[in-house]
Amino acid sequence: MTLEEAKRYLLRRAKELGLEAEVLFQEERELSLRARQGTLEEIKEARQGGIGLRVQVQRRLGYAYTEELSPEALEWALSEARDNALLAGKEGLIPPGQALGSHDLIGEGLSAPLEAKKQSALELERALWEDSRTRSVLMGGYMEKEVRLALASTLGTEGAFRTGLAGMGGSLVMADGPSLKQGWDFRLAKEFHALDPSRTALEIREKTARLLNAKPLPTGRYRAYLEPKAMAGLLLVLSRSLSAKSALEGKSRLLNRLGERIASEWVTLVDDPTLEKGLVSRPFDAEGTPARRTAVVEKGVFKTFLHNSETAKALGQENTGHAFRTYRGVMDVAPTNLYLEPVGNLRLEKGVRITEFMGLHAGANPVSLDFSLQALGLWVEEGEVRYAVENFAVAGNLLELLKAIEAVGDELDWEVMGSAFGSPMVAVAELSFAGA
Amino acid sequence: MLHPDVVADLLKKALKGGADFGEIYVERSKRRRMTVRFGRLDEAISGLDYGAGLRLFFGTEVVYAYTNQLTREGLQEALETLLRAKGALGQVDERGAGGLDFRKASPKGLHTPRVPYGEKDKRFRLERLLEAEAGARIAPEIQQVETSLQEWEQEVLIANTEGTWAEERRVRTRLLVLAVAQEGTEVQTGYAAPGKSVGLELFDLYPPQEVGAKAARQALTNLRAKPAPAGTMPVVVGNAFGGVIFHEALGHLLETTSVAKKASVLADRLGEVVASPVVTYVDDGTLPHAWGSTEVDDEGRPTERTVLIEKGVLKSYMVDRLGHLLTGYPLTGSGRRQDYTLAPTSRMRNTFIAPGDKEVEELIASVEFGLYAKDLGGGQVKPGSGEYNFAVQEGYIIRHGRLEEPVRGAMLVGKGPDTIKKVAAVAKDWENAPGMCGSLSGMVPVEVGQPHVLVSEIVVGGRA
Repeated sequence: MTLEEAKRYLLRRAKELGLEAEVLFQEERELSLRARQGTLEEIKEARQGGIGLRVQVQRRLGYAYTEELSPEALEWALSEARDNALLAGKEGLIPPGQALGSHDLIGEGLSAPLEAKKQSALELERALWEDSRTRSVLMGGYMEKEVRLALASTLGTEGAFRTGLAGMGGSLVMADGPSLKQGWDFRLAKEFHALDPSRTALEIREKTARLLNAKPLPTGRYRAYLEPKAMAGLLLVLSRSLSAKSALEGKSRLLNRLGERIASEWVTLVDDPTLEKGLVSRPFDAEGTPARRTAVVEKGVFKTFLHNSETAKALGQENTGHAFRTYRGVMDVAPTNLYLEPVGNLRLEKGVRITEFMGLHAGANPVSLDFSLQALGLWVEEGEVRYAVENFAVAGNLLELLKAIEAVGDELDWEVMGSAFGSPMVAVAELSFAGA
Repeated sequence: MLHPDVVADLLKKALKGGADFGEIYVERSKRRRMTVRFGRLDEAISGLDYGAGLRLFFGTEVVYAYTNQLTREGLQEALETLLRAKGALGQVDERGAGGLDFRKASPKGLHTPRVPYGEKDKRFRLERLLEAEAGARIAPEIQQVETSLQEWEQEVLIANTEGTWAEERRVRTRLLVLAVAQEGTEVQTGYAAPGKSVGLELFDLYPPQEVGAKAARQALTNLRAKPAPAGTMPVVVGNAFGGVIFHEALGHLLETTSVAKKASVLADRLGEVVASPVVTYVDDGTLPHAWGSTEVDDEGRPTERTVLIEKGVLKSYMVDRLGHLLTGYPLTGSGRRQDYTLAPTSRMRNTFIAPGDKEVEELIASVEFGLYAKDLGGGQVKPGSGEYNFAVQEGYIIRHGRLEEPVRGAMLVGKGPDTIKKVAAVAKDWENAPGMCGSLSGMVPVEVGQPHVLVSEIVVGGRA
């Protein structure tokens, strides 16, 4: 059966069984080319698809999914979803739907010849060696992913869109005397032709080399300048607390704080699924709510959680259209392109310029928002980088950090970790550093 | 899951295209998850993963494809895509002309569940989750409890052009409890998550009520805890999940994935002293019913017990097929992958420091001022430099050889090869604990473990 046929089968069978049902299906194509030592050490080309099912029985919801599209597998999914719904202890409804149309967000963006993509992976890997300090190159590569997502329900939802991303990056170890640093970076774009292998390789080399010959950082409290990618990591942690689903589950400290000042006046945080070149833009969310821009924090004031239809109803707030679900998961809430708006009042003076946080999944608690993270950085004095610093950890609480933001740079940079997180460089009045 | 003739045809076609080696990995996995919040079933999902990964070697160059179309035509199409990507479509290599006989290995059932899925209904599971939640309600400060049950039945078939034909059914069950404690605006969490390669007997091995209470006690301890001190100090690392420190700081550096590329600081060091003489470090894929055990690895090779470091001396790396081709080190049955969408790489299974001869009390008594990291969260390492970090989930100050007040927010930071040399003493109380390990070939279930271990100094990141 094709996915389209499976979709029709499931909706028809759900009606016969007296169930309301919503199906989400996803087809993905992936190409990845990994170069090492002048050859392509791994070529990967693949297709994957599956169908996620949500059913409503007596105002209760249950979920199932399958990648096998035989009638037996579809019947199994239906009966499991129904059993799961019958046991559910919480009310839930599949929202009434509408025709959402068919959208193409990628066009011809990925349609370069395979040979050109192979060459760019090889070029990037080669260019990573163009520095005598390069000790080894773990990989240089190109990847692209194209996704077609469709949504349909027995309540009238019907829509589809096609999107995708191309990316290029690499990883290397650089050495200067006994000092070793491993660096990596990845650049993403909506079009293959927007990627530049030699420029990306140069950036990776520069970003890694500047960390060599690092000195220990004495324990103390310093002003911190967070580079965009370091700040993007913190936004990822924060985004869990911005989810109304987390809030309802007792996992957000922001519950009951709408309208309060939770950050400094320089902080305006926006989620915008409609950004034209947005890396994670989409026309509608996972339950068919049309996309629109949401200001989450405006000049430091907490304006709204991110919602899906269920959380909006439960908290009596407006649905922001942030329902998120893959065919393999349950309905959740997630940002799309979440970013800190540039201000342009940042000037480097004295402190630690943090280039990267490590171990975010372990060192930052998304509930308490406490963090204690290993970081890499540069010591800055009189507005200039003096030397690299290493073997230290930065600790604090994210809500305190947001209040201590003194200045925000003018240029956004993005990191994709499920959602896209964007930030300019950010200056924080004082953070606690544990080092030598 | 597939007829041997279909597989043989496919693999012979790969050889005709000039591949030196071809492998197919077929997977059919049922995954189920139930989550309880606020005393009721909040979410439940059941799923069926079904797909095949096809891997060809041309020398040491690898091409990989996966598909959910497990028909003869679907698989042929995936293969042709690969040969086209490699520029080898339409070639006729004589090696594809002969027959292909498979040596079928039958599973021994080393990890077969005692209480299989079908023996109990879903309501039985819901009741156990509610018990775990009730177990966590030990104090008014416990504001929120989330309990969930993960059940995973994975059937795999791995066949290759060397005649390997291995099938295995892998069953894993895990109970997870997250407790959130709150007092005023202060919020802290506690966590417990036992898991094994077993069926529903998990609830007998780990009574749900006790698992809930354990998570809740940790959350309450953290609520009382003061911010951890910052600086360099001796650290006693707890047993069981405490082993994650060496999983990150040492284990990852011994996988051929990084060793073969000289991207590990421990590459080319076999036979050398790389650790303190009190350290023996083992990766054992055969431990019965362990979370990271399987009978065969994801390349179809029987798993084994691999002694990595013996009394401080490096004895072996963890070697998968590609790692073996690149380095010549013997295979150790360490090829693993998350699922059919990823090619296997060398990965840990159940990795632990072997028990030593000290009592836990002796370790603590020998510290004038330091940290007892009783339980750890996750962590991360850069194998190229050995830099690691991980979070202390439950910690206490040691003062004058005695355990004193709890502290929170500590992060241990350092370079693995330095830390392993600073292991001053190893206790007797070896225990393992389950976790999910992420690397190039995705998230795989592993156990980490050790007895209590004293490290003479580690940088502790707390509040300065």
